[in-house]
Amino acid sequence: MIFREVEDPDLIAKARRGDVEAYNLLVSRWEKRVFNYLLRLVSNREDAMDVSQDVFLKAYQSLPKLDDPARFSGWLFRIAHNEAFSLLRRKRPEAELAGEPRPADLNPRLLPIELSLAVETALGRLSPDQREAVLLKVYQGFKFEEMAEILECPVSTVKSRLYTALDLLKATLAPMHKTALRGES
Amino acid sequence: MSCSFFDTKPESKPDWKAYVLRELGQDAHRQAEAHLATCSICHEEVATLRLTLDTLSTLREEEMPRRIAFVSDKVFEPRWWQRVFSPTFAAGALVAAAILIHGLVGTGRTSQDQVDAAVTKAVSQMEARHVQEIQAMYEQLDVRNKQVANMYHNAVLSR
Repeated sequence: MIFREVEDPDLIAKARRGDVEAYNLLVSRWEKRVFNYLLRLVSNREDAMDVSQDVFLKAYQSLPKLDDPARFSGWLFRIAHNEAFSLLRRKRPEAELAGEPRPADLNPRLLPIELSLAVETALGRLSPDQREAVLLKVYQGFKFEEMAEILECPVSTVKSRLYTALDLLKATLAPMHKTALRGES
Repeated sequence: MSCSFFDTKPESKPDWKAYVLRELGQDAHRQAEAHLATCSICHEEVATLRLTLDTLSTLREEEMPRRIAFVSDKVFEPRWWQRVFSPTFAAGALVAAAILIHGLVGTGRTSQDQVDAAVTKAVSQMEARHVQEIQAMYEQLDVRNKQVANMYHNAVLSR
């Protein structure tokens, strides 16, 4: 169990009063999660870094509008979602020129790093909406209702995107599943 | 291959994806578990879903290229003597001096074009100084960012 002397809502209250150091501490708690979420969405480290900075700047400027500090994480990821999709919309022609991502080379005997890369490639095959649903649920642990708030859509849409994505991932990663099962038996 | 139990009443088939994602209510979760204990087909479906989630969890979490930090505005607030020697103040003083000199030394027939030229020159000088100052500020920030990144990197390595 991780004991925190100061909880996020305390830091938010201090940051709202202009305490920049309190905000920096809050940023340090969330920046890696936000960066990784953005990295998987925009697929570029520099873009993810730039957008992360924009997200935390916008969050700082909008802190007075945050109604419930206990819901900071969902609110923060809502800003991150908006910024990421704004970038994706601006870069769409470039992305279309780049074409479809290459299929993953799913060698049945993968090292952990290769497995990680295979998962990354499989995620890259999903549509941005589907990928984001997986990121928010599997990697960020949000509940369906929280995801619906972040994405501003009904829970049914969240489930539809996530379930379709899981079916596609299951099919893509199936060769590894079989190998893993054979390895266990 | 599908589960024969739910073939007859598909409306009551548990949402297995919600089950593995821990999104079912308590009652629905208990019912699902009871069925899983007796049905190998549904058990395999759930096992495949869990394996997919396990595989997804192997995705490495990336380190950030650099940390994000904000600096208090007060740091950038200039002191009184910096205000006096600021480019804006200097440019303003230059413009005022140009107008004064024209007023004192000039023939009294200074055209509007000459005044405009003096103002344009002073403004361009001010803008050039601004650009230089901003560039210097960016360079300083870049150096500080690298120092912080190195400190962070070393701290991570020493863990």
